Amino acid sequence: MDKKKRSPWSFMSRGYLILVLLFIYLPIGYVVVFSFNESKSMTNFAGFSLKWYESMFSDRTMLDSIKYTVLVAVIATLVSTLIGTVAAIGLSKARPLIRSIILEVNNLPVMNPDIVTAIGMMLLFIVPGIQLSLTTLILAHITFCTPYVILTIMPKLRQLDDNVAEAALDLGANPMQALTKVILPQIFPAIFSGALIAFSMSFDDFVISFFTAGVGINNISMYVYSMKRYNPSVNALSTLIVIVVTLILVLVNVIPYIKEKQTKKEAEA
Amino acid sequence: MMKRMILVLMALCLMALPMMGAGAEEVLNVYNWGEYIDKQVITAFEKEYNVRVNYSVYDSNETMYTKLMSGASYDVIIPSDYMIERLIRENKLQPIDHTVVDNLDNLAEGVRNMQYDPDNTYSVPYLWQTVGIVYDTTKISREEMEAQGFSAFLNPDYKGHVYMYDSERDAFMIALKALGYSANSSDMNELNAAYDWLREMDKAVRPSYVTDEVIDAMANGEKWMALVYSGDAAYILSENEDMGYCAPKEGTNVAIDAMVIPANASNPEMANLFIRFILEYENSLMISSEVGYASSNAQVLEELSGEGGDYEGNEAYIPRSGYELDEIYHDIPEDLRSQYSSMWIKVKLHE
Repeated sequence: MDKKKRSPWSFMSRGYLILVLLFIYLPIGYVVVFSFNESKSMTNFAGFSLKWYESMFSDRTMLDSIKYTVLVAVIATLVSTLIGTVAAIGLSKARPLIRSIILEVNNLPVMNPDIVTAIGMMLLFIVPGIQLSLTTLILAHITFCTPYVILTIMPKLRQLDDNVAEAALDLGANPMQALTKVILPQIFPAIFSGALIAFSMSFDDFVISFFTAGVGINNISMYVYSMKRYNPSVNALSTLIVIVVTLILVLVNVIPYIKEKQTKKEAEA
Repeated sequence: MMKRMILVLMALCLMALPMMGAGAEEVLNVYNWGEYIDKQVITAFEKEYNVRVNYSVYDSNETMYTKLMSGASYDVIIPSDYMIERLIRENKLQPIDHTVVDNLDNLAEGVRNMQYDPDNTYSVPYLWQTVGIVYDTTKISREEMEAQGFSAFLNPDYKGHVYMYDSERDAFMIALKALGYSANSSDMNELNAAYDWLREMDKAVRPSYVTDEVIDAMANGEKWMALVYSGDAAYILSENEDMGYCAPKEGTNVAIDAMVIPANASNPEMANLFIRFILEYENSLMISSEVGYASSNAQVLEELSGEGGDYEGNEAYIPRSGYELDEIYHDIPEDLRSQYSSMWIKVKLHE
């Protein structure tokens, strides 16, 4: 590229991009750096140490909170993705009036402040005398994740050509095969991003979890929020989460690329 | 694709089973403030009594109360004095079994015979502290500080160098105490006078209103003085030797967190054993040394502040006790609480 052609605007837009990225990543970087702090201070870096990682892995309540968070998030993601996908496909075939009514109803929990959902759920459980437990927590998470899945899948379904599914039926597929071999593969990217949204909603939820979790069940948000004092183990925990999330994102993006290359190679061979 | 998903789901359910407590092991549900114990004490208790401690945490008395009201059944909880007063009044607690908890003699003088529960019928103190002032001795001399007490918050010489803890109850407490009233006053004239005092404070020293970030900031010596809890002050003093601690002459708040057994506890026998265990010397020592708040065990106080102890020469570690003007908080009615909070917001807005 010819350097002389660069206008001051391109310089500014680059600066703007850098600023935005700094705003997003500086706080995360700060957390990561201070997880290696020798002292307990959150402003003074006294030297490198792994002691907060040690204290994290020896803290059973913290480890339990990680276990509960992951368990709840995975189950809630799987179930709500299943429910959401089936609901979205059904809705796409429904009459327009019914579809728009149900989609509005589906939007309500998304717009509703979490605290209202949370107290509503708690009352729903305790009024008929159901003891709050891990099960009620998972049920609550499935409930608030499902609308997001439906919301993500619907637009993709609208883009689909109805004729393709009909063609599959004409060519001898039974309805189940048309669903699994024709419709699902086409909307798979949407299902996947719906699942990702559900997972992240469940993973960092505090309010709803607080009101629906049973005795002795803390997720990461509840645990961190309840600390009477700052403890750098939280930085260590956050750093691990950042690493895991980065790895997952890298894998998600790299694997399809590698697969594509392989199939190309096979096709060439 | 579908099959794989179902398989994963089943595998997860299998993983979840042991976590749901399928074993016949005895369980004790403990509900405590976050970061308020030495975890080794729990492990030791589990070993000694062959029980699994299900430990969960809350961030405020009110949060804990909400959870309790939702019908959750805990065996031991550790609320503060005024909350215990409310729980006793509402019949939400069951009496401590004094034949099991037979080591109440361990209790320090400062936490005995508390108004909310004079005979320890329902509660056994866990940790305690007072509200006081941490100050930089290189900027304000000890004599100056002791002489001023809470009125140091009105001294314009300190303008811009003051941290105020952002808690309406504590703010009104220092104003009421500085004016010579009770920290539990419900007299509107006294409250209005306290409100004026706080507005004057806001104008005179322009404090930064902070919460727990004050601990780190004062340990780094960022300002000259700050209102802090003595437990946090003990940590600040151990980090920065320039800092001093002053328990104001006007009297202050003494706060006690105590162990209680809710009426709906499912394992009260084990709960009593737990309370007894915590009050023992070694365990209380570990907790107090880890958390930095004063132990309820007299011998531990002596050990930690004595020669070679974690808090040797730390004037903030042992809360002042037996001082006539010091008070514990009482539970205040809802309408008074909202008065406090609307006045406090106005103070912070410089109105």
